Amino acid sequence: MFILGFHFPKELGNKIADELVLEKLDAAEIDTSGINEIKMTMEEHGVAKELSYTNKDTFMFKALAHYIKTAESKYMIYTNRYQIAELSKRLDSDDETMALCKNFDSMAHFTVEAA
Amino acid sequence: MSELRQIAFYGKGGIGKSTTSQNTLASMAHYFDKNIMIVGCDPKADSTRLILHEKAQNTILQLAAEMGTVEDLELEDACKPGAGIFSPDMPGGWINCTESGGPEPGVGCAGRGVITAINFLEEEGAYEEEGLDFVSYDVLGDVVCGGFAMPIREGKAQEIYIVMSGEMMAMYAANNISKGILKYANTGGVRLAGLICNARMTDFEYDLACALAEDLGTHMIHFVPRNNIVQRAEIRRMTVVEYSPTCDQALEYKELARKIIANDYKIIPTPLEMDDLEDLIMKFGLDLEADEDNIGKAAAEA
Repeated sequence: MFILGFHFPKELGNKIADELVLEKLDAAEIDTSGINEIKMTMEEHGVAKELSYTNKDTFMFKALAHYIKTAESKYMIYTNRYQIAELSKRLDSDDETMALCKNFDSMAHFTVEAA
Repeated sequence: MSELRQIAFYGKGGIGKSTTSQNTLASMAHYFDKNIMIVGCDPKADSTRLILHEKAQNTILQLAAEMGTVEDLELEDACKPGAGIFSPDMPGGWINCTESGGPEPGVGCAGRGVITAINFLEEEGAYEEEGLDFVSYDVLGDVVCGGFAMPIREGKAQEIYIVMSGEMMAMYAANNISKGILKYANTGGVRLAGLICNARMTDFEYDLACALAEDLGTHMIHFVPRNNIVQRAEIRRMTVVEYSPTCDQALEYKELARKIIANDYKIIPTPLEMDDLEDLIMKFGLDLEADEDNIGKAAAEA
């Protein structure tokens, strides 16, 4: 199984507990302290929209900051993006994050970077 | 030397199986230095054209017919090295290509080509080539035909990736292929290694594909978004990986390739009954369309 690009061995089955994903994120020990704002471009049907995300206390922020630090490009891999939204809907609850999750559920093309 | 892995891409006709498989295998060779042999098992013989930069490779059945019998055929005649970056002369991984072929439309058994081709390749030692990491079969989803089921039935392919989408018939085919795997899992050792969703942009496609994967006991290993660059590359008879190796879509295939190389989630699937498959679709918000009272009603009436 692969979630957010992390590999989970077969013994864990095909339903991975959220805590295990969080553990992997923490174990990655990526320094995200310098990131205070995340900027995204959402493009669909030729229309681009700029988005900003600043809620540092969320799983969403942690996962996006990790993505920025580890990905080889600003482009967001679709599977990872959907998985971030899926987890965030369970682990976060604030309106700003839920609005971003809704955007992530679309088929739009996203790029992400630290502001 | 790492152990040879024999994988297969199955899926409904027209789902983008050959495109997905060639782009993924190209990524495995180009980004991860894997050496691969592609065995096209589709009578269309289009499983290798993007790797070879050719319209269609001469198939084993065609060549055997020209020579008289398959016994007169040499491996070098039927197996071609990849073009461009996939050539064994280039740095990185290489890809060799062969196509089983099939009879004229409306004549004969299409699956027989698959059986003849695999037997020929084995007898000629095609899988014993130095440094070969993967053999990949690209097979039609019609496992009702014994020929197309051969890579599963005879235990040739050990891990099966099903290319599907959120469309009903693609999901039906994925479930049917899982039934084929289940049937031969204990005798041949074949396992389902994951679903690859080749997006058609249908409603709730990601969620549906994940839910089907979960019910089958497997995982959706990757969701491949739709991107026109794939078609632009195909017009030049190239994979995206070769056409534009740093483009977004190439990164998607690269990620899928990375996961396949690292994948250990290979299981005996638990296929669904047809009613359960329909229930699954209803569960994801399509219930208005599927409501018994709405059957046969136009959109304006329902």
